[in-house]
Amino acid sequence: MTIQQQSPVLSVEGLIKDYPGVRAVDDVSFSIESSSVHCLVGENGAGKSTLIKMLTGALQPTQGVMKVNGVVYQPNSTQDARESGIATLFQELHVVDELSVLENLTLGMEQNRFGFIIKSDLEDRVIQTLATIEPSINPSARVSSLSVAQKQIIEIARAASSGANVIIMDEPTAALSEREVERLFTVIRRLREQQVTVVYISHKLDEILTLGDSVTVLRDGKHIVTKPLSEVAGRSELIDMMIGRSVFQNYTARTAVTNEVVLSAKGLSNRLLKDVSFDINKGEIVGFYGLVGAGKTEIARALFGADKVSGSIVFKGQQVGSSPKEAIAAGIALVPEERRTQGLFTNLTIRENIPVMNIRRMSDNGIFRSADELTAAVNYVEKLGIATDSIEKHTEKLSGGNQQKVVLAKCLFSDADLLLLDEPTRGVDVGAKTEIYDIIKNLADAGNSVALFSSELEEVLGICDRIFLLYCGSLKSVIINGPNVDTTDILNVVTGGNKGVTQ
Amino acid sequence: MSVSIKANKALFDNRRMSDQMYITLLVASVAVGLFLIASMWVPNFFQLQNMLNLVTNNWAVISLGVGVSFLLVSGNFDLSVGGIVALSGVLSVWLVQSMGGANALSSGLGLPYWLALLGALAGAMAIGGLNALFVVKFRIPSIIVTLGTMMVARGIAQVITQGSQRNTNLPDEFGVLGSLKVFGTSIQLPVVFMAVLLLVAIFIERKMIFGRLTYWIGANPVAARLSGIDNARHITYLYLFSSAIAGVVGILLSSEFQSGYSNRGMLMEFDALVIALLGGIAIAGGFGSVIGMFFGAIILAVVTSAATGLTLSPDWQFILKAVAVFLAIMAQTWALTRRNQ
Repeated sequence: MTIQQQSPVLSVEGLIKDYPGVRAVDDVSFSIESSSVHCLVGENGAGKSTLIKMLTGALQPTQGVMKVNGVVYQPNSTQDARESGIATLFQELHVVDELSVLENLTLGMEQNRFGFIIKSDLEDRVIQTLATIEPSINPSARVSSLSVAQKQIIEIARAASSGANVIIMDEPTAALSEREVERLFTVIRRLREQQVTVVYISHKLDEILTLGDSVTVLRDGKHIVTKPLSEVAGRSELIDMMIGRSVFQNYTARTAVTNEVVLSAKGLSNRLLKDVSFDINKGEIVGFYGLVGAGKTEIARALFGADKVSGSIVFKGQQVGSSPKEAIAAGIALVPEERRTQGLFTNLTIRENIPVMNIRRMSDNGIFRSADELTAAVNYVEKLGIATDSIEKHTEKLSGGNQQKVVLAKCLFSDADLLLLDEPTRGVDVGAKTEIYDIIKNLADAGNSVALFSSELEEVLGICDRIFLLYCGSLKSVIINGPNVDTTDILNVVTGGNKGVTQ
Repeated sequence: MSVSIKANKALFDNRRMSDQMYITLLVASVAVGLFLIASMWVPNFFQLQNMLNLVTNNWAVISLGVGVSFLLVSGNFDLSVGGIVALSGVLSVWLVQSMGGANALSSGLGLPYWLALLGALAGAMAIGGLNALFVVKFRIPSIIVTLGTMMVARGIAQVITQGSQRNTNLPDEFGVLGSLKVFGTSIQLPVVFMAVLLLVAIFIERKMIFGRLTYWIGANPVAARLSGIDNARHITYLYLFSSAIAGVVGILLSSEFQSGYSNRGMLMEFDALVIALLGGIAIAGGFGSVIGMFFGAIILAVVTSAATGLTLSPDWQFILKAVAVFLAIMAQTWALTRRNQ
C-alpha cells in the first residue's frame, strides 16, 4: 500500500465542541489521507458522534478548523457537506422502499423541465456506479425486496454517484450478518480503488483490523492517537488505547448450572422455523447463534408469546406462548431486538420506564405506588451502573449502552426467572458490553436462566454454557461450551454445512 | 429492595421539573395572562362572576375534553363525541315520550324515565364500543373510525327526530337534571358533573395505574405490548368511558333544553380536540394532562368571550380561535424544543 504525500483529503485542527457543562470534543487534531479507509474508534461518549456531526454540518464547532483538501470548510448543513464532497451513511437507512433501485439512486437529482421529469445521462451514470460497486443488484428491482445490506449498498452507491470523495459510515454493519459484512467490505475496498476515502466507525474491532488502513482513537473527547493500522499490534492494543483496560471474555465453566428443565419447547414451526425443539435448564445461559434470518428473533418472540407459532412451549409446567402478558406473568421477560422502537419508551424518563413490566407489583388496589417507583429507579441506576445524573433523564438522551441497561432494568424488575435477550449488545460500546455480560452472569448464578440470541460469535462463546446453532429456521446442532470448541466448525454449521467459511 | 436513598441523593436532587409540569404551567400562565389582557380592554371583564362563567358556560366541552384527552394521550382520536351528544339526547327524549302523541314527533316509546336514561347511555356506549371494535380489532386508524361513527351517531339522531326536534309529551321530571341547582347555590348539576369528572380524571391520570398505562401505550404501543400491557383492552375502556361521558353530556343538555335535537353538539368534537391540543397534549400521544386541557379550555373561552365583549362580529370568532390555536401550539413546541436542547 503506497500512499503518496499530498494534502490530506480531510483534516481537523484544534477542534472543540462544548455543550453546557460538558466538553464533548476536546482539542482534537488529525488528518485523513486520500483513498484510504480511516477508522474512528472509541467507547460510547468518547466524542465520535459529535465529531461526525460537526464534519457533516449537523453541529457547529465551538472552536477549531476543519479543512477539505487543504481548504477551510465550514458546513452549515448536511447539504453543504455533500456539496463539499462529504457524504454520510447513517445507522438508520434513508431509502424509499416503494421506489425502484434506480429511482432511489437518482432521488433528489432528477432533471426536470416545467415540473416534468426528463431523461438524462444521469441514469446511465448511476447504473454504471452501481455496477462497479455491486453488480448483483438489478437497478429496476424494488428496494423493498432487497436485504438490509443491499439497501446500504444502494445508499453507498447514491453517495458515490453524487460525486462524494469522502463517505462517512457510522456503524454500517450493526444490522448485517457476517456474510453480508464481507460483501460490504468488498464494496468498501472497491470504493477505495475508485479514489474514494471512507471514514469508518464501528465497535467491532475485528472489522477495523480487517478493513482499515489507519485508525484514530478517541477517549473522553480527547484525541489519543492516529496511526496506520499496520503499526497497531492487534485488538488488545486498540482496546488498551480505547479504555486502558483489558476486556477479553474468556468462558469459564459455571457451577450454577443445574439439570432441572425450566423451559421446554417442542416442534416450534412457522413461516421460517422448522420443527425447533430444545430445553433450557435452571441457572443456565444458553446461546442461540446464527446468521441474520436464521430464526433467532423468531424463536425469542415465540417463547415470549409475541408471535404465534405452532408447537408447544412449557415453562415450569405451564403452557405459555399466547401473549407477552401471559409470559411475563409466568416469569419470562424479553429484551427485544430493537431497543429504541420495541424496548424503550424514549420520550419518558428512566424512572417511568423501569416499572412497566410489573404492573401487579406497582398497583395498590389500582393506585400507582410512586414511592416504589422512585426506589426501584435509584436502585437499578446504581446496580446496573446506568450513567446519568438524574433518574428523571429522558431515555432518548442516554447512550446506546445506557439505554440497553434501562431495558434490562425493566426486565429485571419484572422478577423473571427466564430472561430472553435478543441482540442485547448491538450498538453498545466495549465497556458497557462487559458490564452487561456481568449482569447476565450474576443473574444466572442467582438461579435464573438466560437465553441469549446473538449474531456475534465472540459474545456467544464468551458467556454461554450451551450454544444452539441455527440455519434457515432449523436447529442444526447443540454445542457444550468449553476450551475445545472449534469455531471453524460452528461457522461451517451456521452457514449451511459444507461450504466452509474460513477467513 | 433495600437501597439507601441517602447515598443516591444526587439522583433525586438533580430531578428537575418534568416537561409535563412545565407545559401545564405554561398553558396556565397563558390562560391567566390572556385573562388579564382581556380585562384591560373589555369592560366588566375582570369580575368574579365572569371568571366563573368562563368555566361554567363550557362545562359540556370540558367534560367531553376529559375523554378525548385520555384517548389522545393513548395515541388515539375521538371525533365521535359530538355525534354521541346528539344521539344520547335524542334517545333520552324519544324513549320517554309517551305513546300515541298527536304526530310522529310527539310520540315515543313511553318508557319510565330511569329506563330511558339507561337506554340513552347504552346507545352512546354502543358507539364507543363500535369505535373500539374498529380501532382495536380491525386496526383502522382511529381518526377515520371516529369520523365515521360521528356521522353514524348523528345520522341515527337525525332519523329519530326526522331532522327536527322532539320536545312535546315529556314527563315533568325530564327537565330536572339539566337545571337542578345544587347546595342551595346558583351552581347547576351539569357544572358539578364537570367538576367531579375533572377531579376523578386528574386522580386517575396522576395517581392510578390506569393513568400510567395510558401514557405507556401512547408513548410506544409496541414496547407496551412487549412489556405485557393489554393495549386492546385498555383502549376499549378508553373509548367506552369517552362515549359514556358524551352520553351523560347529551342527556344533561337535552334535559336543560327540554328537547332532543339532532344538531346539538355540532362541532363539539372539534372544540374538545382543540382545547386538548391547546392544553399541551401531544397529537402523537404519550404526553399531556387533563389539567392542561382544562386551561386550554379557559384560553379558548377567554378569547371567544373577549371577542364578544368587544362586540366583534361573531363572523370573526373562528379566525380569532384559529389564531389563538396556532400561536399557542407554536409557543409550546418552541418552549419544549428550547428546554430540551
